[in-house]
Amino acid sequence: MSPLGPHSYDPGIAPSLLVWTIEIPEGSIEIDLNNAEATLHLENVCRVFDAFTVPNSFDTHHPLGLVSAVIESLSIHWTGISKTLSFSNGKTFRGDFIQSVAAPISVTVSTPSTTPPFTPAAQDGFEFVADPATTVTNFAQIGQEHNGSLF
Amino acid sequence: MGAAGAVLGSGLWTPARADDDNESRCGVPLPITYTHPTPTGPPIHHYFPGPIDGSAAATDPFGTHPEGRDPSLITNFSGVVGEVDLTFSGTATDTNTGAKAGYSFHTDTRFMRGEFIGSDQQRHKGAFAFI
Repeated sequence: MSPLGPHSYDPGIAPSLLVWTIEIPEGSIEIDLNNAEATLHLENVCRVFDAFTVPNSFDTHHPLGLVSAVIESLSIHWTGISKTLSFSNGKTFRGDFIQSVAAPISVTVSTPSTTPPFTPAAQDGFEFVADPATTVTNFAQIGQEHNGSLF
Repeated sequence: MGAAGAVLGSGLWTPARADDDNESRCGVPLPITYTHPTPTGPPIHHYFPGPIDGSAAATDPFGTHPEGRDPSLITNFSGVVGEVDLTFSGTATDTNTGAKAGYSFHTDTRFMRGEFIGSDQQRHKGAFAFI
């Protein structure tokens, strides 16, 4: 636990039950499957909350509070080929994907200082700047797919 | 009525068209059908990261998925997807006191770009991020 407290960022769950997903400009994504590369780049994303913890995010009562935060910038770059995989279940999902070797992330995110009732107690503001060199890629993949009625 | 008439007549106000931009689109993307439980809330529509053939993965605590492990959050979707499960660290700052400390995060972040059939049963194009 950091002395700066827990922080966890997500856009919440939509009334449609779409989870933690927001629409972004199409130009935020660059993808070149022939060269096994892709980049996601976002700036000034204010449609996210600091839910402080994942369990607090899923709890519809948000006992730890829920405040708007800002992803000032976020970049992820997928590179390399660890494995290629094609799959179809014959009915509802098929895809062709490249499992990447690495996907370093750069992100700067901030939460403003808060007071009740937005959090149970007053909290200082928080800013985090990632060091991309520390990225451990547990899993990464890029590809194309078709699901549901567009199977 | 005078003020409204003045605004309407000034040319400053124009009605939004349904296809002007994504903000005015009536249909919204719908979630994939698969759900898994969460510790504190209702089940959510989401597969943990892992190979699309549904084989076992250290990043997925819910085991194997013979139906496949769809990385898209959106159903009725056709397009490109990127997915990561990352751990990383950096420097955090208390913006009130200026105190700094090392800080670590874990993230499952994804993008989806392509076509989808939304809740209005119409086909749309769009790009999305799972954060």
